[in-house]
Amino acid sequence: MKFTIKKGDLVDVLSKVQGLTGRRSSLAITECIRMHASDRQVHLTATDLETCFEGSLDASVEMPGTIAISARKLYEIAREFPSSDILIDETENRWINISDQKVHYHLMGMNTEDFPETPTFEEVALFELPSADLKKMIEKSIMISGVGEDKKPHINGVLFERLTDQEPRRVRMVSTDGSRLSKYDLFCPDEAQVPAGPSVLIPKKGLHEVSKFIGGSGTVRVGIQESYFIIKNDADTLAIRMLEGQYPQYGEIIFREDGHAIRMEKEPFHNMLKRMSILCTDSYRAAIFTFDDGVLAINATNPDIGESREDMIIDYSGEKIEAAFNPKFFMEALNGVEDEFLVLNIVSDKKPCLIDGSEDKSYVSALMPMRV
Amino acid sequence: MDMDAFFASVEQLDDPALRGRCLVVGGSHRGVVAAASYEARKYGIHSAMPIFQARLKCPHLVIVAPRRRRYAELSGRIMDILRTFSPLVEPISIDEAYVDISGCQRLHGTAHETGLAVKTRIREQTGLTSSVGIAPNKFLAKIASDFNKPDGLTIVTPEQMPLFIETLAIEKVPGVGAQTRQRLTGMGIQTLGQILQWPEQQLVRKLGKFGYRLMALAQGRDNTPVVCESEAKSVSSETTLEQDTADHAVLAVCLLAQSETVARQLRAQHLRARTITLKLKTTDFVQHTRSHSWPQPIQSSDTIYQATLRLLTAFALTQPIRLIGVGAGNLIPENMPVQQALFADEQVRHRQQWEQLDRALDAISERYGRGSVVRGTLAETGRNDKKQ
Repeated sequence: MKFTIKKGDLVDVLSKVQGLTGRRSSLAITECIRMHASDRQVHLTATDLETCFEGSLDASVEMPGTIAISARKLYEIAREFPSSDILIDETENRWINISDQKVHYHLMGMNTEDFPETPTFEEVALFELPSADLKKMIEKSIMISGVGEDKKPHINGVLFERLTDQEPRRVRMVSTDGSRLSKYDLFCPDEAQVPAGPSVLIPKKGLHEVSKFIGGSGTVRVGIQESYFIIKNDADTLAIRMLEGQYPQYGEIIFREDGHAIRMEKEPFHNMLKRMSILCTDSYRAAIFTFDDGVLAINATNPDIGESREDMIIDYSGEKIEAAFNPKFFMEALNGVEDEFLVLNIVSDKKPCLIDGSEDKSYVSALMPMRV
Repeated sequence: MDMDAFFASVEQLDDPALRGRCLVVGGSHRGVVAAASYEARKYGIHSAMPIFQARLKCPHLVIVAPRRRRYAELSGRIMDILRTFSPLVEPISIDEAYVDISGCQRLHGTAHETGLAVKTRIREQTGLTSSVGIAPNKFLAKIASDFNKPDGLTIVTPEQMPLFIETLAIEKVPGVGAQTRQRLTGMGIQTLGQILQWPEQQLVRKLGKFGYRLMALAQGRDNTPVVCESEAKSVSSETTLEQDTADHAVLAVCLLAQSETVARQLRAQHLRARTITLKLKTTDFVQHTRSHSWPQPIQSSDTIYQATLRLLTAFALTQPIRLIGVGAGNLIPENMPVQQALFADEQVRHRQQWEQLDRALDAISERYGRGSVVRGTLAETGRNDKKQ
């Protein structure tokens, strides 16, 4: 096998797959990228056995063939390569040369036959979504992730739904870590032909790769086939093996009629939370929120350090409610709101508090209080 | 402070017929001597010696089964006596403790007077003798307590310290075991003072990190503070098995008893744990640990037992186990705020029910004595030493 490839193209692709190849799997060869040269193209494959990347690059191929080479080392070499064209050829016994006139690397590849089989998708029913919007939806959803050794599918995965019977049609992602939850709706453009289909669970790890994979402009095509969630742009495909499991009934958490809706300016509230989180530590995370006639008081007491307190005028006239929250979770929920004003909905210290924008209702967070 | 032949002395205290006789406590546990009276020591009998060997050395030896509960009770009283001298008391075993008496001169007088007062008060209130060592730091105090035993009182003043170190046999230094000692002898080092003749770098090259420690000790530097037990960082329970075994069922019963002990200690100290560790020592003395952590801290004995049992099952038992233990770490006070869950979780509910049951059992034990209510599995094996 022997081909010459553009440095820029190669570095670009390799940077996208580092997350996949850097993840430890049960097979050593998954740290490699497989390169298959034929005609005028090189096909690239990388996988961590859950998420699989496939792409192709133009190249001038002198002799077809396949190699598997450490994605990390190839990336480092390509990134520092002095010339814009890189010649890659396999000599014998899986020895690979990476060179130009002056630079020469001689690397041991791995046996391509050991490379795990990757799914092939020919006739997937894909629908188009704007890249930037999808990226934003994913980033907001994976912000909430589980801690410790939790292996529950509804915590490791994001729920992906297609609400084709609603007007406007939308796709939705729901994410939770067990104590908080977020829901984001992406309204589909009219021309997007979103087919109806079941709700699925996509692992957050895989979505992390997707957020790196999609650019900030244009569109990507998205689809579901068998047990895979697929995202395609012009040259590359990413396929994520979906999780199996039940998702909890999230509707009753975020759609509710009771509670006090309090409209607040986001920025000052965020600053207040920042100040009140200074005394919170890993072992002591609670701040007590007291909603009283016209005032919200936040009080953080840390037995190891001391205490802090701040009042803010709010538009509230119900009975006094006292509930403890982790201010860090609260700030993260606020970060998802893009409006200048937000609406905070509180019922009691036993029920989740809801936060969304005053105008934009596409993003909602629910946050469970702490028990003191 | 170090009690003199503690277990043996307690037996002689409680049974006058045993006084003045060659006595060892032990027998049930791997057939080794747990403690030997001073009369028995004259025959060359010492702790950890197999009973049969001790019998050969002294044919009229009396062997008494240990009564751990009685020792623990007296130990508690002794520690309480020490706490009347200073709040900084660090028990290191059932019969030894460090006491920080710096700054107590106006209260208790000179070091000598304080040392005598400690010994007198222990003897008056328990009838047992102890040995006390007083020194500017912990390691010298420990060594000094071992001098002139039994009923010893050894004081190393800052002025005497260099001479004391110069002549101190190197094997008396804590941390110097058979191997290190051999290596040091090879270097011509017999006393701690001789360490000073070697450059530190060379010591470190020969002994590793311990070289730094030895050099510091030789210079009389040891800044380890006396830490009181109140700030528990972990709670644990471990057992050296009577016989090495790879029998999963036997080990599981141990884990059940240990999980209960650990959970009881957690409840007594109003703590919850986020991490549970299973400790195993195999026949070849290699120690293995396996841990599990929860996002929310736990407390119930059943949760601890189920988790350690899973860890044990996942561990490939290729060798018999010599020692098994359960530890709880990442401790969080009970009254610490806890994040509530969004969804009703069956497991969490299950855990809370077990915690409730545990508390009910505590209440029964408190009223009718420990062992009045035990798990069926443990009652069968008689592991709860409820005979008492």
